[in-house]
Amino acid sequence: MKITFKGITKQYKGKYALKEFSTELQEGVYGLLGTNGAGKTTLINIFVGIVKSDAGQVLIDGVDVKKLGVGFLARVGYLPQYPQFYKNFEVQEFLQYMCALKGVLQPNGNRRVSELLEAVHLGDARHKKIGALSGGMRQRVGIAQAMLNDPDILILDEPTAGLDPQERIRFRNLITKFSRGRTVLLATHIVSDIEFIANEVLLLKQGQLLMQAPPHKLIQSMENKVWSLTVPDEALDEKLGSLKISNILREQDGVHLRIIGDERPAQAVPVQANLEDVFLYHFGEGEQW
Amino acid sequence: MVKLIGFEYRKHFIKPSILIALLVFSLVSVGKIYGTYAENSLFSRGCNMQQSIQIKQLYWGFYNDYSGKITPDKIERLLDIYRPIEAKVADLTASTRTDDPDTFTGNVYTDYHFLRLCYVLPMQYDYLYQSYAGKVVLAAKENIRFYSSVSNRYESRKNALIAECFSGRKVGTFAFTEMYQYYLNYDFSSFLALLLCVYGLVGVFVSEKQTEMDALLLTTQYGGAKTVAAKLLSSALFVMGICTWFWLLDFLAFSAVFGSFAGFMAPLYAVKNFANTPLNLSLGQYALFSCTLKTAGMLALVAGILLVSSLFKNALFPFIISLSGAFGLIFWQGEFMNSGHLWAKLVNPFVLMVNRELFRKAEFANLFGLPVPNYFAAMLVAILWAGIFMGLLVVTIRKSEMTEKGGRLNAG
Repeated sequence: MKITFKGITKQYKGKYALKEFSTELQEGVYGLLGTNGAGKTTLINIFVGIVKSDAGQVLIDGVDVKKLGVGFLARVGYLPQYPQFYKNFEVQEFLQYMCALKGVLQPNGNRRVSELLEAVHLGDARHKKIGALSGGMRQRVGIAQAMLNDPDILILDEPTAGLDPQERIRFRNLITKFSRGRTVLLATHIVSDIEFIANEVLLLKQGQLLMQAPPHKLIQSMENKVWSLTVPDEALDEKLGSLKISNILREQDGVHLRIIGDERPAQAVPVQANLEDVFLYHFGEGEQW
Repeated sequence: MVKLIGFEYRKHFIKPSILIALLVFSLVSVGKIYGTYAENSLFSRGCNMQQSIQIKQLYWGFYNDYSGKITPDKIERLLDIYRPIEAKVADLTASTRTDDPDTFTGNVYTDYHFLRLCYVLPMQYDYLYQSYAGKVVLAAKENIRFYSSVSNRYESRKNALIAECFSGRKVGTFAFTEMYQYYLNYDFSSFLALLLCVYGLVGVFVSEKQTEMDALLLTTQYGGAKTVAAKLLSSALFVMGICTWFWLLDFLAFSAVFGSFAGFMAPLYAVKNFANTPLNLSLGQYALFSCTLKTAGMLALVAGILLVSSLFKNALFPFIISLSGAFGLIFWQGEFMNSGHLWAKLVNPFVLMVNRELFRKAEFANLFGLPVPNYFAAMLVAILWAGIFMGLLVVTIRKSEMTEKGGRLNAG
C-alpha cells in the first residue's frame, strides 16, 4: 500500500498551517516530528477527513481517499491528541461501543476487544470506569480502540503527551508491536518517541516538509555539526549566550557542553550526533540558551 | 443502528445524577399533588384527617347509589334527602353540634355542603349540559346564517365547526370527576420534566467536544450521520420515557390521593372547566391525548436544546441558554395564556405542554382562510419548529470529509 500526499495546503486566517505538503509513505513507522504548531495535527486531520484541505490530494494506491469515503475510514485506526473518552463507560464497554462505530461485527468484536485488552495489558481493568484510569492506561485504551478494526493505517497524534517515562516506554513498545504489516504515522514533538522505532522521520516546520529520511541518515547529516567543549564554571554564562547548547554536564574537570552548530567552536571536539540534535539543529534555529 | 442508539442512551442518560434527579423530582411532584388535594379537594378542604376519611367513605357510599345513568328516579331520591337539609340550614339557625345522630357527617351544615357540592351541583351540571350544548349549536347556526349573509366565509366555516362539535352533546351519566378537575389542571410535572430534559440533553452533542471524542467519531464508519441519528433517536426515547413516567405518575398519584380514577369513561365536558372544549373524548381518552401532546411539545423544545448543544464546546453555555429559553417560554406562555393574541400563544411550543389551555374552549386559528382548531395549529407550529431546529443542526454539525463525499463502504 502506498499513501501519497500531493500538494496539501491549508490556511487558517491567512496563515499557512500546511503549505504544499507532498510525500509518499509505504509500510512502516513514520515519525512526524515538529514543534507545536508545525502543522502535524492539521496534516493528520486532513488525512482522516476531519479537516478539509484548501488544496491537494491524499491518495491510497493512486485513488483519492475522498472517493474511497467511509471505505477508507474502515482501513484507518486513529488515536487523537488528548482523548478523554467517556468517563462513565467501563473500558470494555467503551471498546464495544467503538466496535459498533467501526462496524466490527459480533462475536468478532468481543473477541477482538479481549485480545486487545490483553495486548495492552488492560485485561484486569476491563471493568474499570475510564474516569478512574491513569493517563497511561487511558492512552492504552486509545491505541486498543484504534486497533479494533485491524487497520492498514495507524495514525497516532502525540500519543505520549503527558505520560511518565515508564508509560512512555511501554507505549513505544506497543506501537512497535502493532506496527507489523501496517503504515504507522506517529506525530510528536518528543524525539525519543520515534528515535528507535521509526523507519523514517518527516521533519515538519511551519507547515512545510523540511526533510524525510531514516533516522540514521538524519543523524549522518549532522556530521561535524555537534561538538563537545569543556569550560570552567565561570565561562558558562558567556557560552550560553553565544552558542546553541543542547546539553550541560558538570564534572570535576569543568562543565561539559554539547554544542550544535555549523562552525566548530574553539577547542571543541566533534561528537556523534543523535536525533535530538537533528531536532534542535532544525527547530531551535536562532535560539541560544 | 439499534446498538448505536443503546450506546448513546447509555452514554448520556444512564447517569447517577439523572436517576437521582428523576427520583427527587418524582417525590416533589407527588408531594405537590398531595398538596393540591389537601388544599382543594372537597374530601379534605378544611377537614382533619379523620373527617376527610369519613367524608370519603360517605362519598363512595352515596356514589354506589347515584353514579351511572342519570334518571328522574335518582334525581328525585337525591333531592328527597337534600331539600329537607337545605331547608334546615336556610336561615342559619340550625344546630351547629358535630355529633348530631340525625345527620350523615355529625353536622347538618357539613351534610348540606357535602350534598350540594359533591352531588347536587355536579348532577345538575350534568343534567343541564345537554340544554347548554343545544344553545351553543343554536347560536352557532344563527352565526352561520349571519356570516353567510355578509359573505364572511371564514366565520361561517368556524361556526359550522362549532355547531358540529357541540351537536348531540349530553352528559348522560353521573361520574366522579373531581379528581380529573385537578389532574387536568396540573402542570407542575411538565415543568419538572422540562428541567430534567434540559439537564439530560444539553450534553448530548457538547460532551463529544468536551471529551474531544468528536474527532475520533468522525474517523469511524458510523460516527457521522448514523451517530447523529442515534443521538437524536436516543434523545427522543429519553424524552418519551421521562414524559411517560411523569404523566403516569401524575395519574397514579391523583388516583391514589383522591381514592379513585372512576369517571374515566365520562366525557371531557363533564368537567365544568371543559364545558366548551372542542373535543368529544372521554376523560380517559383525553388524558392519553393530552399526554401525547405534552410529549410532542417537549420533543419540539428538545430539538432546540439539541441544536444549542451542538453549537458550543462547553456544556455551561448550552445549559444556561436552554434553561433561560425554557423559563422564557414559560413566561411567554403565562403572558399570553388568556389573551386574544392566539398566534402569540400558538407559536410557543410550551403551550403543548400545558395544553389544557388549548382544550378548554373551542378556539380556532385562521390558517390560510381555513379555521383550524388551535391545538392542531399549535401542533403544526411545533412540528415546524422541530423541523427548523433539526435542519439547522444538520447544517451546523461537524461532518467528515469522507462521508460527506459519499464514498462506498469497503470500496478500495
